[in-house]
Amino acid sequence: METLTHTAAFLFDWHVILAALIGVTWGIMGGALPGISPSITMALLLPFTYTLDPTSAIVLLASTYIGAEYGGSVPAILIRTPGTNAAAATVIDGYEMNRQGKAGLALGISLYSGVIGSLFGLAMLMTLSGPLAKVALAFTPMAYFALGILGLSVIATLSGENLVKGLIAAILGLIIATIGSDPVTGGTRFTFGSAELLGGIEPVMIMVGLFAMSELLVQASKREQDERVTSRPRIQFPDWPLAKRLIPAQIIGNGIGTFEGVMPGAGGTIASFMSYNEARRWSRHPEEFGKGSPEGIAAPETANNTVAETALVPLLSFGIPGSNSTAILLGGFLIHGIVPGPMLFQKSGEVVYGLYAGLFTAAIGQLLIGMAMLPVCIWLVNRPRPYLNAFIFALILSGIYSIHNEAFDLGIMIAAGMLGFFMRMLRFPFLPTVLGLVLGYLVESNFRRSLVLSGDDWMIFVDDRISLGLLILAFLFIGGSIAKRIYDLVRHRPTSTFSESAES
Amino acid sequence: MHKLYFVSAAAAAVLAGGLAVAQAQEYPVDTVTLVTHSSPGGGSDVFLRELSRYLSPYLGANVIVENISGGSGAKAMAQLAQAPADGSIFYATTPTFIYTSLLSEPEYKYTDLEPLVNFFIDPEVIYTSAKSEFKTLEDVIQYARDGRGQWGAANPASLERQALEQLKAASGVNAAVVTHEGGGDMMINVLNGTLQIGVGEVQEIQSQIEAGELRLLATFSDQRLDAFPDLPTVKESGYDVVVRKFRGLAGPKGLPDDVVAAWEAATQKVLADPKYKEAYEGANLRAEFMPHVDYVTFIETFGTETADFLKKTGVIE
Repeated sequence: METLTHTAAFLFDWHVILAALIGVTWGIMGGALPGISPSITMALLLPFTYTLDPTSAIVLLASTYIGAEYGGSVPAILIRTPGTNAAAATVIDGYEMNRQGKAGLALGISLYSGVIGSLFGLAMLMTLSGPLAKVALAFTPMAYFALGILGLSVIATLSGENLVKGLIAAILGLIIATIGSDPVTGGTRFTFGSAELLGGIEPVMIMVGLFAMSELLVQASKREQDERVTSRPRIQFPDWPLAKRLIPAQIIGNGIGTFEGVMPGAGGTIASFMSYNEARRWSRHPEEFGKGSPEGIAAPETANNTVAETALVPLLSFGIPGSNSTAILLGGFLIHGIVPGPMLFQKSGEVVYGLYAGLFTAAIGQLLIGMAMLPVCIWLVNRPRPYLNAFIFALILSGIYSIHNEAFDLGIMIAAGMLGFFMRMLRFPFLPTVLGLVLGYLVESNFRRSLVLSGDDWMIFVDDRISLGLLILAFLFIGGSIAKRIYDLVRHRPTSTFSESAES
Repeated sequence: MHKLYFVSAAAAAVLAGGLAVAQAQEYPVDTVTLVTHSSPGGGSDVFLRELSRYLSPYLGANVIVENISGGSGAKAMAQLAQAPADGSIFYATTPTFIYTSLLSEPEYKYTDLEPLVNFFIDPEVIYTSAKSEFKTLEDVIQYARDGRGQWGAANPASLERQALEQLKAASGVNAAVVTHEGGGDMMINVLNGTLQIGVGEVQEIQSQIEAGELRLLATFSDQRLDAFPDLPTVKESGYDVVVRKFRGLAGPKGLPDDVVAAWEAATQKVLADPKYKEAYEGANLRAEFMPHVDYVTFIETFGTETADFLKKTGVIE
């Protein structure tokens, strides 16, 4: 209650309102540009925050984060390119809806799910910071390993009709994740003496290559005029029956997003994939997933916006940034001489309350600014194909280049694009690759770290209760989906799984 | 040491004076660019930006900061090594630039740069959870002696890990040195009792110390810290390990003597500036000015020691 009254005082502070609106606008734009991750979008603003008062500076950065997490879904839906890592799960059904001429509705669903995610996450942040921080503290390396395995268990569902192809695709992702520095010894692996590879390959480069670049190659290889989908340049919100149908998916997104956001190092990508998977499991229309299911957009988009809020829990309570984006935010605090952590509320309480108020304004601003910007985006992608493709190509090249200002990265992206092209021809699904890539490092580093801790005693994964629980859950998931496949096979029923790269 | 500095500074002044009497006080270029590989908000970035606020009047030139990220410093080093040695561009040095040079064998290494002067030492401290049974460093070592210790270092190829490996060798105990992906990760594992101790910079754990959730056990610095006068050094505790995480500048090879002299003078003045002093002491940095000649030797020694460590632990061949 006290928190609410303190926060309310800042709701009408025009500094806070202005910072929140500028931040969320900038964030949506940055998130919507493929290759420009939320953290880069925030980093670009950081120098401007030196001269601002601390509250405005923090609000500006945190609002940018929220905007960027939402913005990533726009290109995911419109041009099959996730603007951020966490939007990868949205590509599947979002782009499918776009192909059916329902881009406006898809964008409307992602926008309002994002706002729900933001508001729910903010409520969690304001009311349950304490208990949530305790959960984060209880996570040992063993538990993180198990969490990663739970995330990987989703592969079985994402694999489409052919589990073997899905596993091959996932292993490909895991292989790419080993490039760079060894997480335990620090030695270099598969870098061939190149300093560019020392830090590993950023998932976004592979994702943009796999999804966007391969799509351009497919378009270019088609002789005949491509069928043109023209959607009306209007954003459309779902009607009541559809909105009602989306509620379970959004609740799943909220729940998983809250949990994953609090874990340093887990983050939005796992949250969106797991929410997608769970929404499919509990949906009344699981057969629609992969073919343009509105729930397939609502769940991951709710989840990644929830993460953008609850990721502040470990930052504010311990001063520990769980991701690149929150690390930039930590930089924003430190620049102004504020040290996040257990003493933050006593020492700089007003900044925190200002931040809460700003986050609320940003969530509302996200809705308004999204509505104003989206028609323009839809209009843009309805231009003739050749122009659009050239524009997309320029966009992804400049986006990828801007990550490190390295031409080397463009090579990685284009190589991933060619890989994606052949994967599509051979009907391999992409999503297991993305998942393997994102989770590979988390799983490997925590697995090896646990074994260093225990002196190579494997029982450590069983002795740790959280780890044991998560591992059992993961095996139930895997066992369940394999059992279902066998059952379908025996009954000669077509599996109800989908193929996200189905070329029609 | 001080004598040496005065001699070299005097020699430089004489040289500069001899060349251009009227311009003896002037810095040869108008604008100095300070480069860091860390992204905005990172450690070196904050160091340079704070410094650039105060340095200009003392140096007699504009000071701007540029971030050249990529390859953990490899790109910035390459750019510096090929830049003109006229005092217009410098690079913020931390142990990272030596680690990157040794680990990834980039085209241009730390040996292709000329260390200029050192500004600060970030003190590295050993800490434990306030709830733990360990009251002194000796308790922790004894625990490791009796069974098996678990100690945390922030990154695999880092000074912190090197420090712990040295401590392990000096005390002769069997402890697992568990590496992480940054100080935050490690702190959680110290707080939840997975690790007995962690090593980090004071700044990273300041808030937890104030809140009474972490307890400091020892510092790896050569003398006790002003902020924690009761905290013993590791050396006092009987283990001869001293770690110096430096923060300074380096430039292209062949820096002119007048530039070096101007920096040596300006560095000492800016470090004594009361406002700047308040800012950096608030961030728990310890001023440790090292003149050019000393700094060159220091970096050389640091590089050789690090290479030995990396070879011994099997990280590089």
